[in-house]
Amino acid sequence: MAEGAIKLGGKKKKSTIMDMVKEILPDGGNLNACLTCGACSSGCPATGLEGMDARKFLRMAALGMDEEIMKSNWPWMCTMCQRCIYVCPMKIDIPQLIFNIRSRRPRDQRPKGIVASCDMAMKGETLSAMGTSVEDFQFVVEDVLGEYQEAQPEFADMEAPIDKKGAEFFLNQNSREPVTEPDEMVPLWKILHTAGVSWTYGSKAWAAENYCLFIADTENWKKMLHQQADMVHELGCKTYLNTE
Amino acid sequence: MISPKLVEVGRHNNIELITNSEVKGVDGEPGNFTVTLQNNPRYINPKKCTGCGDCAKRCPASAVNIINKGYNDRRATYIEYAQAVPLAFAIDMDACIGCGLCENVCLAKAISYSDKVKATEVTVGSMILAPGTKAYDPSQLDYLGYGKYPNVVTADGFERILSAGGPYFGHVMRPLDRQEPKSIAWLQCVGSRDTNRCGNGYCSSVCCMYATKEAMIAKEHIHGDLDCAIFNMDMRTFGKDYEKYFLRARDKAGVRFVKARVHTVTENRETGDLNVRYATDSGEMKEETFSMVVLSVGLTIPDTAVELAKRLNIDLDRYNFSKSEPFAPVETSRKGIYTCGVFQGPKDIPGSVTEACAAACLAGSELSGSRGKDIEVVQIPKQIDVTGQDPRIGVFVCNCGINIGGIVNVPAVQKYAESLPYVVFTDSNLFTCSQDTQEKIKEKIIEHKLNRVIVASCSPKTHEAMFMETLEACGLNRYLFEMANIRNQNSWIHSKSPELATQKAKDLVRMAVGRAATLYPMQEKRIPVNHRAMVIGGGIAGMNAALNLGKQNFEVVLIEKEPELGGFARKLHHTIEGGDIQEYIRKLSAEVMANDKVEVLLDTEVTGFGGYKGNFKTDVAVGKGRETRNIEHGVIVVATGAVEYKPKEYGYGESDKIITQVELGDLLEGKGAKDLETVVMIQCVGSRNESMQECSRICCQNAVKNALVIKKQNPDTQVFILYRDIRTYGLMEDYYKEARGLGVIFMRFNSDDPPEVKVEGDHISVITTDHVLQQKVEILADLLTLSAGMRPSDTKKLSGIMKLNSNQEGYYMEAHVKLRPVDMPGEGIFLCGTAHGPKLITETISQAQAAASRAVTFLAKPEIKLSAITAKVDTQHCVKCLTCLRTCPFNVPAFNTETKVIAIDEAMCHGCGACAGACPRQTIQLGFYNDEQITCKIDALLAGGM
Repeated sequence: MAEGAIKLGGKKKKSTIMDMVKEILPDGGNLNACLTCGACSSGCPATGLEGMDARKFLRMAALGMDEEIMKSNWPWMCTMCQRCIYVCPMKIDIPQLIFNIRSRRPRDQRPKGIVASCDMAMKGETLSAMGTSVEDFQFVVEDVLGEYQEAQPEFADMEAPIDKKGAEFFLNQNSREPVTEPDEMVPLWKILHTAGVSWTYGSKAWAAENYCLFIADTENWKKMLHQQADMVHELGCKTYLNTE
Repeated sequence: MISPKLVEVGRHNNIELITNSEVKGVDGEPGNFTVTLQNNPRYINPKKCTGCGDCAKRCPASAVNIINKGYNDRRATYIEYAQAVPLAFAIDMDACIGCGLCENVCLAKAISYSDKVKATEVTVGSMILAPGTKAYDPSQLDYLGYGKYPNVVTADGFERILSAGGPYFGHVMRPLDRQEPKSIAWLQCVGSRDTNRCGNGYCSSVCCMYATKEAMIAKEHIHGDLDCAIFNMDMRTFGKDYEKYFLRARDKAGVRFVKARVHTVTENRETGDLNVRYATDSGEMKEETFSMVVLSVGLTIPDTAVELAKRLNIDLDRYNFSKSEPFAPVETSRKGIYTCGVFQGPKDIPGSVTEACAAACLAGSELSGSRGKDIEVVQIPKQIDVTGQDPRIGVFVCNCGINIGGIVNVPAVQKYAESLPYVVFTDSNLFTCSQDTQEKIKEKIIEHKLNRVIVASCSPKTHEAMFMETLEACGLNRYLFEMANIRNQNSWIHSKSPELATQKAKDLVRMAVGRAATLYPMQEKRIPVNHRAMVIGGGIAGMNAALNLGKQNFEVVLIEKEPELGGFARKLHHTIEGGDIQEYIRKLSAEVMANDKVEVLLDTEVTGFGGYKGNFKTDVAVGKGRETRNIEHGVIVVATGAVEYKPKEYGYGESDKIITQVELGDLLEGKGAKDLETVVMIQCVGSRNESMQECSRICCQNAVKNALVIKKQNPDTQVFILYRDIRTYGLMEDYYKEARGLGVIFMRFNSDDPPEVKVEGDHISVITTDHVLQQKVEILADLLTLSAGMRPSDTKKLSGIMKLNSNQEGYYMEAHVKLRPVDMPGEGIFLCGTAHGPKLITETISQAQAAASRAVTFLAKPEIKLSAITAKVDTQHCVKCLTCLRTCPFNVPAFNTETKVIAIDEAMCHGCGACAGACPRQTIQLGFYNDEQITCKIDALLAGGM
């Protein structure tokens, strides 16, 4: 935050970040409506990190403290859980404010790990942030399925289909499981099997990670969503089951 | 508090109560409406039901007690609450099992299972809609846990928990385990000031005060320490004397007021305690555990009222309050139909009572031509002369169903009464208060030539006046009556000891007989009423009061000290809703001048005063020549107004860049905001401080109003409002929201860290602390506006002449803050406008109409009867010690400097007896309660041998 007293008044600044974000959001995200009640901060998991919280952050935006806002790392600590807007008496869209401020930071100054994960996801056709290939995914799924069919006879006819046309559900999958904890995929398979529903993975665009969203890389995020939607359409699935 | 009002309404000759009914339609026009009613069955005839409660005692079917928010059960045969009027039971057919027990036990034969829905019609001249409010239901706010965690209750539920008539009989317990709570948190603005989760953008106006009150009462009721915390955004204690109450709660009683909104309430499953987490002003997370959480739920309009409005073609606003214009607050969109209370907009009890009187005023002026028609007039026969007769006492002992008779041996009490001196007749009745028993009593009085009557039954508080009327109706003086309370003070409390209760009933009857023998007829003095009103003050309040009295055909003298009408409002331009104040004053004063019943005296002051209610005599000096006139009038309406405080703070007067809100109003009306870059406003200037503790009520909306004008004239002007609590109560909250939406920045400061103001050449620099960032802020402004509070007009001279009491702030005092907000303590004197306390123009108008209405109830009488129960001084033995002058709460006893005696004016005496008790030489006697009439009761008690 600013050193010494915050200088306000005088002639109105041309346009602040908040003005710009307001233009993008429906109803301006109600960003001006803050009663400073603190309900957002009271329920936010990031309150107090770096001495900042949602109410303070919105206040800085309202006071036109753009430089401080752009410098702050706090927006990167938001989990986008939306607990703030859930109870806010004025329905102020703090998550959208945070997202739009993230997107204003030059890409090379955004958190490195997340940027790298987004980049990795954009490289292959699986969208996996861990770079998992179509073949590796297929192998792991079939291998794990086989193990369980054998070891647990009650699940002998359980399926874990990939690219099954006309399945009811398209299931996505965080790539951490097939790569590091393959057994973790199975409980959901069991549930779907027991429920008797028809589902499928895609061989492509199956990865569920949202890193491009987290770094507010709108363009790549949009590309990813398109690829996922195309895959769902190609298989003729009715419902996209997002597990992330 | 509400009980006497209920009884008065229930007993009033000219009020017909039609309960359990809905208005289905209204035809016709103002002056002649036909109203179609649907009368729903109650299955118990309220005319026959005596309220004894035997039916409910026997009823085997239970139902959830809705009035106690479901914290206990009631029977299917029930009465909603103990003070209900009419005091008659009803059957809840959804719960009734049809066993027929109640019909069997009802001695009054009031039960009628075959009751059906009926349609009836009534013809009326005007209508008042007062459908009231419903507390917001917080069940949908899942994060607060209401309905999930038993110890989370709503404020109206907590109100019942505190009530002696509530589910726990006034013992403060939490619902889960009936344990006394150790700590309670109130969460404010649940269902108010929230456009996200409930759509109620308005402020409910009353929750800050009721939460504070509930905390204070809870602390009183609980043995040991109770921690009370009120979580709020702004404390809105803006009413008369409310700020003092808030300070008392905070500083004396230790109620904690926490500026925070809690996100989620969670429950500790083992203890039932509740955890709340919140961020402090500095952004620090805190977690606290409370035994109970009370949700301060807002006021909403019930669906039934919305449907009623639709059927009646009444326009509602977007929150379903009745739509009204700023200068016509109690009028609905349909002519001849008026409204009051929360249906008009969120408000507290004094505001509701005021508006109720205002609605009655307008409803009445519509009908003033037919005043006195269609009303019941009681004919009283000539009084029987009992002078010289020995006492002939009749004693009527009541069974009160089985209330008395089930415990006390009534035949034995009756037989005992026969043996007492001067008793010539005794009787016992099932219900002595029933209509047919009144007829029987009258017959017996005449048949046995009774000249004293005793009823041994219940409380004189509720029944004495009725029995006295029975005496009058057969020619017996009403003061030849005495009661023995053998129910409330006997059978109810000694129900486990019937023999002792019978003995005590005998003692009480013997005492009553002893006293009855000492009673003598007393005559109530009748004095004529002068039908002219005097209104003091020609502002918006005085003009409205005068005009409404004129419209009701009463002569009015309106006195204004300035050479023109309008008062302080002449300096104002627009209301926050946009109403043109100047145009309103022009029209209003033209209407006042044109009304031939209203005489306007400008440039006039009161110079002398005398007389009493109904017959005042006031000297005034009129015009430049100060010509003296003596005016005789029956009532006074005080409307002397208030002015804007002239600040001593924040450099006011040092620069023409530092002005008040009223001056800013002029500036915006004139050259406007186009040259302004930054405007800073500071709130609470001359309010809520050591020299003026009270909140001035109007300044927050004034600041918001002017900020909106600035922003609309010039969106580039930056506006900062430095405040302590924003108090845009009621529907004005929408304007506060609009101002924020237009970019006005609101910054809260603490009273111990006020903003610093420096004049720097052409600019003003204001240094304060931003309450959110907790950082110093320096604002460079080209204009600083001080929200200067209100001060009552200087009325010291007037108050001295007319002996009118004011509070420590200088505002005139009303007779009762809640129930009589426009009556002054002296009878026949009424009060309205800002002379009573700071208020908005809209509120001033309804209060002025209310004062006119109250004045009419006085002026409409040809004469008034003075109670014979007044104090008299035995001037021969009085030593003029002046104890009575110091004791009387109404300042009635006076030392007459000419005759050198103490005089108690019987027209002014309230009959409380305080002076009679205090007089060290017993030279003051109170009629009907003189010393002998009290000591004889003690003698009679002791004569029985204790």
